[in-house]
Amino acid sequence: MPFTPVLRSEALKVLTLRSLCGTLLAVFAVTTAFSALAGSSGTSEPDFDPLYTSLSGVMPGQIAAIAFGAMVVSSEYHRAGIRVSLAAVPRRGRWFAAKMTVVALPVLAVGTATAFAALLAARAGLGPAADGLTTGEQVRAVMGCGVYLTLIALFAAGLTTLFRSGVATLSVLIPFILIVSFVIGDAAGGAADFLPDKAGQIVLHQSYEGPLGPATGLAVTAAWAAAALLAGAWRLRHRDA
Amino acid sequence: MTSIDVQNLTKEYGTRRVVDDLTFTVRPGRVTGFLGPNGAGKSTTMRLVLGLDRPTSGTATVGGRPYAALDEPLRHVGALLDADAAHGSRTGRDHLRVLAASNRLPARRVDEVLEETGIASVARRRVKTYSLGMRQRLGIAAALLGDPEVVMLDEPSNGLDPEGIIWIRGLLRRLAAEGRTVLVSSHLMNETASFADHLVVLGRGRLLADTPMREFIEARVRPSVRVRTSDDTALQAALADHGHEAVRQEDGSWTVPHARVDDIGRAVSKAGVPILELSSAEGTLEQAYLDLTAAETEFAAQSPSQEV
Repeated sequence: MPFTPVLRSEALKVLTLRSLCGTLLAVFAVTTAFSALAGSSGTSEPDFDPLYTSLSGVMPGQIAAIAFGAMVVSSEYHRAGIRVSLAAVPRRGRWFAAKMTVVALPVLAVGTATAFAALLAARAGLGPAADGLTTGEQVRAVMGCGVYLTLIALFAAGLTTLFRSGVATLSVLIPFILIVSFVIGDAAGGAADFLPDKAGQIVLHQSYEGPLGPATGLAVTAAWAAAALLAGAWRLRHRDA
Repeated sequence: MTSIDVQNLTKEYGTRRVVDDLTFTVRPGRVTGFLGPNGAGKSTTMRLVLGLDRPTSGTATVGGRPYAALDEPLRHVGALLDADAAHGSRTGRDHLRVLAASNRLPARRVDEVLEETGIASVARRRVKTYSLGMRQRLGIAAALLGDPEVVMLDEPSNGLDPEGIIWIRGLLRRLAAEGRTVLVSSHLMNETASFADHLVVLGRGRLLADTPMREFIEARVRPSVRVRTSDDTALQAALADHGHEAVRQEDGSWTVPHARVDDIGRAVSKAGVPILELSSAEGTLEQAYLDLTAAETEFAAQSPSQEV
């Protein structure tokens, strides 16, 4: 059973559910809007980072990316849909790979475009305050933002396969991103840098301190995502559908 | 020749044994009715055949191969497990397009099965607007999509209107006549009797019977003959001469148990009894099934050590 038809089928599943396409649109709209807002408001803080300010729309925008990753998988666990899918594609590893591809590729494309649009929107507001940014830094942050959103969506997709429930994933990840990471992030110092969201967001900063840099930070987020994907794949392969 | 072969199949969920050492073969060219009360293990057996659940022990193969080893399985096996499986926010047509794409089935098959199952007119509506009967038809359309040699349907007449039930009967007969292997589960006896040639009967996960339907009924229910006459005394006398005893029914007719219509007809006509009506009352699947399960219950009650 070749991979391409399975991938086509999975892509068609995403394209034929309006809610999924809408969620991708939300990644773009929310991120760009909040970045534009951040760009037009204050620039007077002492540790002002024009790059991070420009991409700060990613903080709310990533919720939509998480929702996308979770919903692509949870739409299968809606009633007994997974049985129909696995009866059509009994090679579960191949099916899972196709599923994760249709999570990753759209988020990578939309995420990168989103980051680019967010940066432009924010810089329109920031004006000369952002003049110090080099082209290299901006390219790194835009590409990195796309990769970060992709990894966080995959993380959510892996967890959803493990829990077999989108609600379970969202009720773990969203409070985590909004509260736990935020609170512990300031309190715990070094260890918090290794949280899946904190680590990956380093790439969005102009200057960074601590043990991780842009590349290693993304690598840490990738490790979290890989762990979630492996756990999900294990559950999918070894349990009854 | 594509049969479904189930060999010593056992499935336990925790300590609960749902399928217990099942062995049977479903052959092509006939409709096999898969009978048993709810919870007897019919749906579980079907999931095991499709490789969705893993057996605790034993094997299930289709055409000699495990389902998971089939390349593009929808071209070989079509199954309806649950009418509710299609995502409510997708259109019926999109549901089928997605399945067709995964097994490289031509797009025209989607429109063909939509026509065949009579839901072409609602194909572009979202599945959540469908009635249960329409969803059932969509599930059957999905099963037929790959023009498979093996068709496995779990309770296909659920939620169908009378017209739909007649339609599914014809469909099943046609699929079998085309030489396909057809396994249809049901807990409705009269419904199953209307389409099945062969029966596989389960009770609490075990195989109770695997026989042609006619034999199953004839072995368990003796046919009787119904007679109506204007001369009750003459009838009784004529029957008594041939060693038969008739039972009078409320409507004034007589039932002769354990008799064949040919014998009774000759006997009463030779005796010159005026006959208003003479018909044979065949045993029904329902009677035979109840007889079987009654015997099983008795067996289980007599040998409790067999259980657990």
